[in-house]
Amino acid sequence: MNTVRYHIRHRTAYFYSGRIDLCHSLAHLRPREDEGIEMTSHKIEVTPEPRFQRERRDYFGNTTNYFAIQQSHESLDVVATTTVTKENRTPVLPVAGVSWDKLRVPPNGKDPSGVRLLNYLLPTTACPRLAAAGEFLKPSLIPGRDVMELVNEIMGRVYREFQYVPGATDTTTPLEKVMKQRQGVCQDFAHVMIAALRPLGIPVRYVSGYLETIPPPGQSKLQGADATHAWIEAYSPTCGWIGFDPTNNRIPGGQHIKICHGRDYFDVQPLKGIFLGNGTQDLVVQVDVERM
Amino acid sequence: MNGISAVPPGISDVVVSPELYRAGPKIRDEAINRDGTPVPAWAEMFESYGRHGSGVLKEWREAALRISRDRGLAYRPDWGDGSNWTLDPIPWVFSPEEWQYIETGVSQKLRLSAAILADLYGPQKLIDKGLIPASVILSHRGFLRALHDYPPGEKAIGLGMTAFDLAKDAGGRTYILNDRFDCPYGLGVALENRTVVNRVLPNLFRRCQVRRIGYFFTDWFDYLAEKAPSGTETPRIVILDSNSGGESSEISFLANYCGITRVGPFDLTVRGGKVWLKALSGLKPVDVIWKATYGRDLDPLEANRPHSAEGITGIFQALRESNVAVASHPGAEVLQSPGLFPFLAPICRDLLGEELILPPAATWWCGDKRARQYVLDHLPAMVVKSVGHHSDFRTRYGQRLSATELTELRAMIEADPERYVGQEELNISTVPASTVNGLVPRSAVVRSFAFLDAKGLPHVMPGGLGRVSTAEGIIISSRESGESKDIWVRSHYPDAPISIARRLEQSRVISPEVVPSRRGENLYWAGRYGERTDSISRFANRLVVGRASGFSYGRDLEARHEKTLIEALFRIFEVDGWMEKVKDPDERLKLILSDQTCPIGVGPNLNSFHRACMAAREEWSVTSILAIESAREKWFSGTKGLDSPYPYEAELENLALRLAAFHGLNLDSMTRDEAWGLLDAGRRIERMAMLTALLSYVLEVNEPEPMATLLNESVLFVSDSLGTYQTKFLTVPTTGLTLMLLLGEEDYPRSLRYLLERLENVLNKLKPPAKRPHPRERIAPMREELSRFLTELSPETGTTDQSRRAALAFLASCRRQLKELSDYITISYFSHAGNQG
Repeated sequence: MNTVRYHIRHRTAYFYSGRIDLCHSLAHLRPREDEGIEMTSHKIEVTPEPRFQRERRDYFGNTTNYFAIQQSHESLDVVATTTVTKENRTPVLPVAGVSWDKLRVPPNGKDPSGVRLLNYLLPTTACPRLAAAGEFLKPSLIPGRDVMELVNEIMGRVYREFQYVPGATDTTTPLEKVMKQRQGVCQDFAHVMIAALRPLGIPVRYVSGYLETIPPPGQSKLQGADATHAWIEAYSPTCGWIGFDPTNNRIPGGQHIKICHGRDYFDVQPLKGIFLGNGTQDLVVQVDVERM
Repeated sequence: MNGISAVPPGISDVVVSPELYRAGPKIRDEAINRDGTPVPAWAEMFESYGRHGSGVLKEWREAALRISRDRGLAYRPDWGDGSNWTLDPIPWVFSPEEWQYIETGVSQKLRLSAAILADLYGPQKLIDKGLIPASVILSHRGFLRALHDYPPGEKAIGLGMTAFDLAKDAGGRTYILNDRFDCPYGLGVALENRTVVNRVLPNLFRRCQVRRIGYFFTDWFDYLAEKAPSGTETPRIVILDSNSGGESSEISFLANYCGITRVGPFDLTVRGGKVWLKALSGLKPVDVIWKATYGRDLDPLEANRPHSAEGITGIFQALRESNVAVASHPGAEVLQSPGLFPFLAPICRDLLGEELILPPAATWWCGDKRARQYVLDHLPAMVVKSVGHHSDFRTRYGQRLSATELTELRAMIEADPERYVGQEELNISTVPASTVNGLVPRSAVVRSFAFLDAKGLPHVMPGGLGRVSTAEGIIISSRESGESKDIWVRSHYPDAPISIARRLEQSRVISPEVVPSRRGENLYWAGRYGERTDSISRFANRLVVGRASGFSYGRDLEARHEKTLIEALFRIFEVDGWMEKVKDPDERLKLILSDQTCPIGVGPNLNSFHRACMAAREEWSVTSILAIESAREKWFSGTKGLDSPYPYEAELENLALRLAAFHGLNLDSMTRDEAWGLLDAGRRIERMAMLTALLSYVLEVNEPEPMATLLNESVLFVSDSLGTYQTKFLTVPTTGLTLMLLLGEEDYPRSLRYLLERLENVLNKLKPPAKRPHPRERIAPMREELSRFLTELSPETGTTDQSRRAALAFLASCRRQLKELSDYITISYFSHAGNQG
């Protein structure tokens, strides 16, 4: 089978203006070993070294890492190094065989991983029900259209109608503002698709992941490759979960490496830290994804 | 069986005259039958009331108010939901048989709820079987996905203290209107009500053979101690109050009653997967947390809300490690969803194999098509609630909605039916409530408290909290509560009073209460702000007197003197911005007298003092609390709307007296422990800081005569030393003599020398901080420096440049060391920076 092997180095560093005495962190940095992915190695190095560290599975089946730095420190450096081999399938748009207006997901049903599908249908703080999202959707709602075709169409429209502007938003920007300014980054585009499609009864989940940094000769560099990336997956009973990347308008294939999935960004935030101390922080994120 | 009957002879033929009490025409009344005879359990109450006449209500109410006030309750106004606590002294009486029925029903509901919770954070069979719609659970704000791997069971507490709101309808059937699994308020109020009513109606209480509630608390406490993680011999139990800290008096009351430490989230820290209490004496391990806050935001790292900041970061991991027990399970709030109501009866059959004894009011979940149709068809008669308890929807009462509002509501339900339930509005029965117009019938509910012990046996408090509606026909909700009532559960036999020995026995098995660092910090700042308020009001007094009668130095000089004094204050508190902003002398005076924000104002400092005191309310006697409250209230009410500075003189003197009374009370009643040490250290450090800053300023401005004399006089006045100076030196104040008195006088409570000696003494009350030198070691060098300076000090000091510079150098060094000492105390005892657990 055609496979591709990646070496991934993901560094997150915080530099504080003052001394920090205690910091609790929760990392979503270990890529899922789902179907078609084989992990050869994975390690997370934290400096200064945490006194207490635990790994566990979260509600969505992602591996999370909790660690606490209890000694006084002025910076925090987290480096996740991963080697994965994944199938290099050519992405194709599947057919769900059911139109979006006929799709009925059983109310108490679960997806193949055992998580209730309803989790991916309900609104969340980051992806609330928005009239603006409904308005955006309207022109594409042609009765009888296949579910996957609709999702694909919405992906294309987000790609064309929203401008990719790094720095236009941050993690606290409400979706309503993103809808209004029609600008954002990958995370916002994923949230837009989620907020638009869930009210139709299509289960949609948020995916955090990586993109290959330097593409093979002849292929263009993808948007969002220098940091962690985000896209979505939509579900239908016949197709299961299918990925859609609205930032690049394509169905994820060999160049997308998934880390975790959840209802929205906040379920899978790569590194969340709460520290005790005064001052401000500077953040540096570096992602390198190399084909081996 | 001792044969004592519940109804003494001669009581059964009581007839309640309609002038005394009359039930409403249509609603069922709990106390009186249709024919005007009392329900037997209420006979004594009506007999006593009839004997005294309706005028006695006023007496009883006043007695209740007086007793609450004596207990400090008049200043503990909240229930936890922002509404006021008031007590109707007329109890709500239950017969033994009626209560037996309630107890059985509440016990069953408790067992049922525990089983549902275990399933929801475990296998979720109830959802798989279709007994609960997934939507009801997954959309609820209190369902914690983060704790999917922390199911209630052996190691994890499921339900802790639980409350059920009970009411009867016109047919006499008892319903459970609401449940509170996560954070049941009212327990402390119930306890307090009992204490007060028992003292207002002691004879009636005895005659009715009312069951005592103390055992319920000791059993609860036993349970908490038992739930400590294994291997702990003397568990430390704390009660966790909300973030605000200091406001929910109910929690501090419970903490005092149970002898455990009340803490806020900031008092706790997680290190190494364990929870620690930041105490003055260092980090202390915490074994059991009785939580009086919502669980959904308990751990900001894994909270449901993305940007939650307050809470105990890392506590969920500590739970998973089984290093701490929290009651209730942080995810228990999901059980409060009204979306569960329609399904309780079948769930009860499935899980317990029993019929539900106390049902909720009839409820329909709009996610079901037929149920939705029913709700929409009967909307004007429905109460519509949010299934997920989402804050963007408030409960709607169909009866009270206009046609437009009903249409809007209908549209909301149709757009998103799974989010709503419709509930039948009950015609809730009434009980007698005391009002200015005598006894009147008012709808009422009982909040009943219960828990399951370690063996799974239910304990239901034989009593509870009655809540009556404010006016006829008003629905009782937690937001619109009227007065509260004591609940009297009668017994056929007298209850043995709770044994003190048993409580003492318990206090041996748990770790003794410690002073949390934050409380210590508040005590320290209560000391500092109290003293600062005192100093500033003396400044203010001096300024007002200067305006009113002058000091016979002529208008120009006095105006300059006033300017210098006020600028001294600006400089001392380092608020030069205000000095630049406000130039007009009258406006500047107002900053001190009546401004609500300026740091050199009397009001803001008095408020800070009050806030610090209230955050450490455990440390004061009730009388001390009353003294603080009245000092603040009387200052603000006395100075409200005053336009001219002159009337402030009397108010300032009154304030000084009231603050002195507060300090006097503390001197008389506080144990000389570490808490006292911090309060007193705060006062002394502030006094020294003020003194040295003021002396520095006057030496710096170096005014010529006669201004110098007037300024020295003011310094002495502000330091409360003018009289002493005049008696001692019999001359006008000179700089040299002023310095000699205020810095070097032996055994004089206002001199730096004496203050340093006392401070060294009082710091001894503090235990040495971990891995650091004791703060008292910083005093000896200061005292030595003072001694050296005192040998140079003479009545001529200040007349030459050299002597002035020497004095300034000494004062600067002293000020710096005081500031360092204050920072050192903060780091060593309050912030625990660098301490490793």
